[in-house]
Amino acid sequence: MKTILLLEDLPEIRAWLRKLVLQVFPGSHISESARVQDAIELAAAVRFDLALIDLGLPDGSGVAVVTKLRDVQPDTQSVVVTIHDDDEHLFPALQAGAFGYILKEQPRELITEQLQRISQGEPPLSPSIARRVMAYFTAKSKPQAVPANALPNVSLTDRESEVLLRVAKGYTLPEIGVQLGLSRHTIADYVKQIYRKLNVSSRAEAALEAQRLGLFR
Amino acid sequence: MPCPRLHQAPLPPTRLSPRSSRSLRCAVRRAATALGFACALALLPGLGTVAQALADSAPAAPAAATQAAPTAVVRGALVAPGDGPAFPNDGSAQPVALPDDWAVTRPGFGGTLWYRIGFNATGPIARGDLLALYIARACTNLEVHLNGQLVLRGGDMETRLTQNCNHPQLAPLPTALIQPGPNVIDIRVAGFPLNKVGSRLRGGGLSALEVGPQSLLAAKHAQQTVLNVAVPQALSATLALMGGFMFVLGFINRRESHLAYFGALSIGWAIVDARLWLREPPFSHALAEFLLCSLLGLIAWAAVQFLLRYAQLRMRWLDIALPLQAAVLPLSLVVAGPAQLYPVASFWYMLLSLQVLAAGAVHLRHQWATSASAASRWPMALLLSAVAVAGVIEFLAQWSGQRPLAAHIAQLVVPVMVVLLGLRLVQQHGRALQSSEDSRVQLQHRVREATAEIESNYRQMSELKVEQVTERERKRIAADLHDDLGAKLLTIVHTSESERISTLAREALEEMRLSVRGLTGKPVRLADALGDWRAEVVSRLAQAGIEGEWDAPEDLPQTLSARAYVQTTRILREATSNIIKHSGATHCSMRCTIADGDFQFVVQDNGDGISPELDGRLDRGHGMASMKHRAKQLQGQCLVESGPGYGTVIRLTLPLDRATE
Repeated sequence: MKTILLLEDLPEIRAWLRKLVLQVFPGSHISESARVQDAIELAAAVRFDLALIDLGLPDGSGVAVVTKLRDVQPDTQSVVVTIHDDDEHLFPALQAGAFGYILKEQPRELITEQLQRISQGEPPLSPSIARRVMAYFTAKSKPQAVPANALPNVSLTDRESEVLLRVAKGYTLPEIGVQLGLSRHTIADYVKQIYRKLNVSSRAEAALEAQRLGLFR
Repeated sequence: MPCPRLHQAPLPPTRLSPRSSRSLRCAVRRAATALGFACALALLPGLGTVAQALADSAPAAPAAATQAAPTAVVRGALVAPGDGPAFPNDGSAQPVALPDDWAVTRPGFGGTLWYRIGFNATGPIARGDLLALYIARACTNLEVHLNGQLVLRGGDMETRLTQNCNHPQLAPLPTALIQPGPNVIDIRVAGFPLNKVGSRLRGGGLSALEVGPQSLLAAKHAQQTVLNVAVPQALSATLALMGGFMFVLGFINRRESHLAYFGALSIGWAIVDARLWLREPPFSHALAEFLLCSLLGLIAWAAVQFLLRYAQLRMRWLDIALPLQAAVLPLSLVVAGPAQLYPVASFWYMLLSLQVLAAGAVHLRHQWATSASAASRWPMALLLSAVAVAGVIEFLAQWSGQRPLAAHIAQLVVPVMVVLLGLRLVQQHGRALQSSEDSRVQLQHRVREATAEIESNYRQMSELKVEQVTERERKRIAADLHDDLGAKLLTIVHTSESERISTLAREALEEMRLSVRGLTGKPVRLADALGDWRAEVVSRLAQAGIEGEWDAPEDLPQTLSARAYVQTTRILREATSNIIKHSGATHCSMRCTIADGDFQFVVQDNGDGISPELDGRLDRGHGMASMKHRAKQLQGQCLVESGPGYGTVIRLTLPLDRATE
């Protein structure tokens, strides 16, 4: 029995998502909200297993909810559900700690499958997202980027870099598993690791920035 | 060295044509060359005459020795004062040694004196030689009578004496007038007492006389004339010319006022030197002497100021004192009266010379202290010491009354030094002008560079600004599209009863996303694009149960424009959709190659092929026609080969250089 948070402002879509979620996770308890503010309050109050978060909301971006969940409930799987498929929108969400993303307009079967996969620990990774992640970690590895004492030195292992590279070239995860001689599950684990490192690194950077600007409380 | 022609000279790396600086440099160089030529031209006659005279006199001397007909030098004469037309025979004649300096033998005497000498003319007359009388110096003017007949008059003897002090005289002794046996030569000399003249040079007197063959004496006369007259004339001309040039230069350019003072000094000295060769000045004697001495006051003023300003010193009190002194000098002469001219003038000469010497010393000391290289110190030091030495010799000569050759040379030293100094000043001036011109050109060049840099920066910034504004606009359009249109389409997708409508709405949403991408997207690396396509196509085929095989080169460096990327994506999506929906294939291979600057994509499936009827029934906007149209829009082409049992081959070719625009 899962506790699920649903954040979506269009009522029809919300209804449709609710139907979908109940199909994938029958008997789960779903909390709906249409505004970022409500979702944040809910996140502070209720313990969730899964959160489906829309990015474009009338009173802000869903990324704030992702950040809040990561702060107070790190074990919650936040999944961003959005129209946008470009890394401009998705990357900040992943940096904030999103576990995966789902594109809204896909057919029900696909979304169902993706949702199941995510809940089983297999987050999706598109080539453009992979490129963006690679660029991020490459920029971080440059010596002048970060003062030495400030951040935990989060960088990718060679394996992780390899996985990213192949995803960027367009190979699917099963293919990569075959190429590297690893199981699909292991590859999925790598992807999860990559996202986690991305989140950790991004949060540390944000904290440092806030400290620099005197906003750290 | 001729000035380089403009179009042949190598230009410095700048857009600024250095024509103005080059022409100015050329002008200065030409002016300096012209000046040099002028000086040389002025000196040339003098030099030529000197050379000629020396050449003439040289072989004459040995000839005189071999002929054993020496000239007779007369060192004694009878002298008697008198104004009459002939030697006074009243018994007042007395013997006197020659050369006779009136300041010594009869101080204070001015007027006319008669001298009488005698000679025997047997030897040379018998040989048939012409005789002549050579008088090295007769001051101020003279008449020569041979046996009572006038044979030479130096000019005006009565009202305004012709100034013959510095001109050696040669009186021919016509054979017709010569008697066998003793002959008598009477010389009438008119002169001024020393008191009334400014210099010993112009005090009355008569030098030793020489009687001898005219050929020898003429050569001697010519030689001495050159030294006494021609050379100073040439120097005067040169000095006047140079002085005028310098004065104008200094007058125009206030920062080089030393040149103006030098010009005044030069012109002044040219006028003063006229005393040596000008025989008939337009003034009376007293006035001429007065003017000559007064001029020296002005010359000293110019010299002192020149020396100080040349060393870049300026003493305000001198700016007042020197003109004052130059005014006081004539006043003192007037006050003293023409009878006391010599002592007052001598005193002033001493004073002025000391002042100039002091100024020279200050100049040298200051220059030695400030000048950088040793080479630039020596010229002025040498010049000034030469002038000082000449001055000392002149003083000694004045004081002792002797006029050795050294004194003659010393007299010419000052003008020559002035000429040399002038040339050096021109050289320095030219060089300073050149360097200032160079730095001006450099400055201009730098200003141009800076301006160009500013302009290019500004251009860059405004381009960037435009880009930023455009991008912001596009992002805003994209966001609006996503928010409004996307939301509505999404609602249709998930709430429609009809599967077909949902599919259409979904495809519309994907199209919208792609269009926005084409609108806002930056160019895409071909390697990245291939990765995106591979992921999408292979996964879609896999979901449809079709085995996909993808072959493409890795790490291609080319880029695609956003529009080309979007259109190619549409083509590939269309092709994949067709394969999934209509082909019934189980295997599909996709191969990408780069050949001859073209991007080539070949999709081959093992399906049923496309029959012509099926093509017509596909929805508008889909099908082969739309793929071909899209490819043509990218200046490429899309070929389809198909047939039942053969499968379908789609060949897409896109030129890469066009696609990157």
